[in-house]
Amino acid sequence: MRRLLAALLFLAVAGGLLAWRVPPRADLVEFLPAGRTPASAFLFRELQSGAATTLLLAAIEGAPRAELARISRETAAGLRASGRFALVGDGSLRPSEAEQEFLFRHRYLLSPETRPEAFTAGALRPKLEALLDGLRSAASPLLARFGFADPTGAFLGLAATWLGDSRVESADGAWFAPGRDRVLLVARGQGAGLDAEVQRAAMDAFRAAFEAARPGPARLLLSGPGVFAAAAAAQIRGDVEMITLASAALLAAFLFWRFRSWLLLGLVAVPLGAATVAGYAAAAAAFGSVHAISLGFGMTMLGVTVDYPILLLTLRRPEESLGEAAARIWPTLRLAAVAAAAGLLAMLGSGLPGLVQIGVFAGAGLLAGAATTRWLLPRLVPEGTRLAARPLPAWIGRGLAGLRGHPRWALGAVAAAVAVLVATGGPPWQRDLAALSPIPAAQQALDAELRGQLGAPDVRSLFVLGPGAEGEVLARSEALSAAAAPLIARGLLGGLDLPSRYLPSPGLQRERQAALPEAGALAGALAAAAEGLPFRPNAFARFLAAVEESRALAPLDAAAFAEGAPVVSARLSPLLSRHGGEVWGIAPASGVADPLALEAAARGLGLPGVLFLDVKLEMERLLADYGRTTLRWALAGAVLVLALLAAGLRGLRAGLRVAAPIGGAVLVVLAVLALAGEAVSLFHLAALLLLAGLAIDYSLFLGLRSGRAPGSGQPTPTGVDDGSGAVLTCAIATLLTFGLLALCDTPVLRGIGLTVALGVAAAFLLAGAFSAPAARR
Amino acid sequence: MRRRLLLAAPLLAVGPARAQEEELAQLMRALASVRERRDRFTEARAIPELDVPLANEGTLAWTAPDRLEKHTTWPIDERLTVAGGVLTYERADRGIRREFSLAEQPEMQALVEAIRGTLAGDLPALRRHYEVAFEGRHDGAWRMTLEPSSARVRAAVQRILVTGEGARLTGVDTESSNGADRMRISPAP
Repeated sequence: MRRLLAALLFLAVAGGLLAWRVPPRADLVEFLPAGRTPASAFLFRELQSGAATTLLLAAIEGAPRAELARISRETAAGLRASGRFALVGDGSLRPSEAEQEFLFRHRYLLSPETRPEAFTAGALRPKLEALLDGLRSAASPLLARFGFADPTGAFLGLAATWLGDSRVESADGAWFAPGRDRVLLVARGQGAGLDAEVQRAAMDAFRAAFEAARPGPARLLLSGPGVFAAAAAAQIRGDVEMITLASAALLAAFLFWRFRSWLLLGLVAVPLGAATVAGYAAAAAAFGSVHAISLGFGMTMLGVTVDYPILLLTLRRPEESLGEAAARIWPTLRLAAVAAAAGLLAMLGSGLPGLVQIGVFAGAGLLAGAATTRWLLPRLVPEGTRLAARPLPAWIGRGLAGLRGHPRWALGAVAAAVAVLVATGGPPWQRDLAALSPIPAAQQALDAELRGQLGAPDVRSLFVLGPGAEGEVLARSEALSAAAAPLIARGLLGGLDLPSRYLPSPGLQRERQAALPEAGALAGALAAAAEGLPFRPNAFARFLAAVEESRALAPLDAAAFAEGAPVVSARLSPLLSRHGGEVWGIAPASGVADPLALEAAARGLGLPGVLFLDVKLEMERLLADYGRTTLRWALAGAVLVLALLAAGLRGLRAGLRVAAPIGGAVLVVLAVLALAGEAVSLFHLAALLLLAGLAIDYSLFLGLRSGRAPGSGQPTPTGVDDGSGAVLTCAIATLLTFGLLALCDTPVLRGIGLTVALGVAAAFLLAGAFSAPAARR
Repeated sequence: MRRRLLLAAPLLAVGPARAQEEELAQLMRALASVRERRDRFTEARAIPELDVPLANEGTLAWTAPDRLEKHTTWPIDERLTVAGGVLTYERADRGIRREFSLAEQPEMQALVEAIRGTLAGDLPALRRHYEVAFEGRHDGAWRMTLEPSSARVRAAVQRILVTGEGARLTGVDTESSNGADRMRISPAP
């Protein structure tokens, strides 16, 4: 007894130390796939940890308009004062005087209108006439201010380009959602990264600024990738905690009911604890950190190891010591554990980071659990202790006995499953990763609504530029701008937000400088153009001076642009991303109706270093790739399991006999999923592997009691629980844990729970039906 | 008339402040009682870079509580309408129609609120945007000098002088950094 407590204490301390040194991570970054190509890898990295992920979208509502505007202004001021945000956008966001001056000064370098022919008398004449016309109009104050220094309208043209298509109404220093009593704010965090802690701190800062603005009855609604990540993390953490606690309690209650022994509960906990610690340690060693999903799912998979001590204790014969029993069933137990671990091969081979991690966790744990049962457990039980399950109610016993020895029933069930699969074409394949997202639909809808109101479309279809030096990427952006025009004309896309729209490449800026005429030539052209118009001779002195100055300005790079024009640069910076010494550019496309057609057209452009990507398409293809790989590895795993069984049981026939219920259970589950219309994802596939591992236990141990498997040798002695009772106990224990999993909100976990719970029931019944009739008493 | 007004100004300025305030309040009530009006205007815009002032004319229409339309008919056809916080600019000959939020155009707002606040007889609204100085005469003529309170607006528009007779507006003169604008208003024929 003391040894058992010591073992449990040791495991608890080891587990606590591990969890303290390598705490489980709840953000999804580690869990998601990398891309198929460098460009898509870049894109996924951007989506997972790029600047765009630090965006917070906020709405405030539930108060009168004037009050909302005040709260918005004060919240924005608080956010700016916090120093946590690179950009805070609200109704008071506009370029400062200094920024306007900077942009005005660089207008001829930035404006696409700067071409040699724009400065001839013939081109200037209509500009001057338009200026005069404008001075008569209501726009007179604006034109009187800028028009004489900039008669070609370069600056006002730029301002119009940069305004974008935001649909917010500015009033009282706040942005109002169109037609609603709701103010909008955006904030972008400092730096980049979907680090859950940084995101949480940013959200807390936002809420604190809102509270400090004395909101009264007004509500704050927050959205954005960071909010999603936090919501997903909380959701996953909540589910994992709920499952761990509830399944442990249920399992304990069930086992106590069966065995009426506290000692047994302690014994069962030892292999499970050892398996969890070993799996966690293996995953932590292999990946540096362990994801909460791996922990949750991995632990649930390791629920299999609860079977091992139960089997050991219930299959022990009256005359045996526990150690002798362990030695006797070890070949079968070893075979079951190794085969189950081999079944995880598909997870390791899938290449999907999350699945690989779960595979390592569960594989290491399974082997550790089996080894613990064989060598440690017999030493923990005091000599002479009898542990036996209470006899099953008679009707269950009759049912089980009746189940045995009916391979035709089993074959019939499998045949029916095959018929269903053939008729329905199998369950649909889940192509949409969003469907696996644990974010509630309401939160996703709010995000879409805020993005729409702010004119900030969700990044879905985009061109990736680069990698290369900053100037190269900007030059590619310019090439794309020209090449995309016919695609826009064909209606394949509505428009592109290009980095070069804000900042031209240094080459183009120099080209524009070269296009600016000398002072004398320009003065002559201007005088000719102004002939007969009521302009005073020196009216355009500022224009002449500005053109002369522009010829000698140093071209702007992103750093200089950000320093001189922070507000406009805030729109450029998400489109340029630096990784090491390389720069990548992003050009989000809007109004894309048919991404496939646009992809084909974009391929036809033949621009080097420019690639079109549709995030959804790319994700679907990626998942399909992973699906195919996983399937291949699953088949390889199945062959390996069969080979192991054949080797362990010394015969292909015997191997097939054990494997039949396993394959049958997989087919039945697939058929049920197809009938239920449940879309199958990679995670269902993984769950099938887990199911196969469990089914191996049932099949092997039911076979063991049938007296044919090696290590058994003799018919069942009377007075000992029939093997099917032991296996039934195991199956119900598993059903309890996975049934719970099927109830949780995280789609991934729910899919797995459903699959395994169904499969365990099917596997048990099939294994029972396939096994030989019970020996007569 | 203008000269007479200017001559009378020093005399008026020494009047007791309270009496003046009462007179202003009375005028505002009189202005507020006119729910609709339609006037003609002529405008001359002097810009330093131009040899000659630019001339305009058209109609000015007011509908209480907050709708003001300035329709220029010569030499270009242009319609500027303010209703609530929205400014609509229309140029029919070029098919241009744009809407702006008045709050986003502080300089334009300064001009609009000067006329609109006066026509509405809304003194608190005027005082939200301007320092208001008022001078009235016994024959019913008056002038109101409005200086923008916001430093940012004052950088662009230094002073607006609104003149009138009784409940009627006769002129709006604007001094801005880009020149001077004189608008004369008379009842529409």
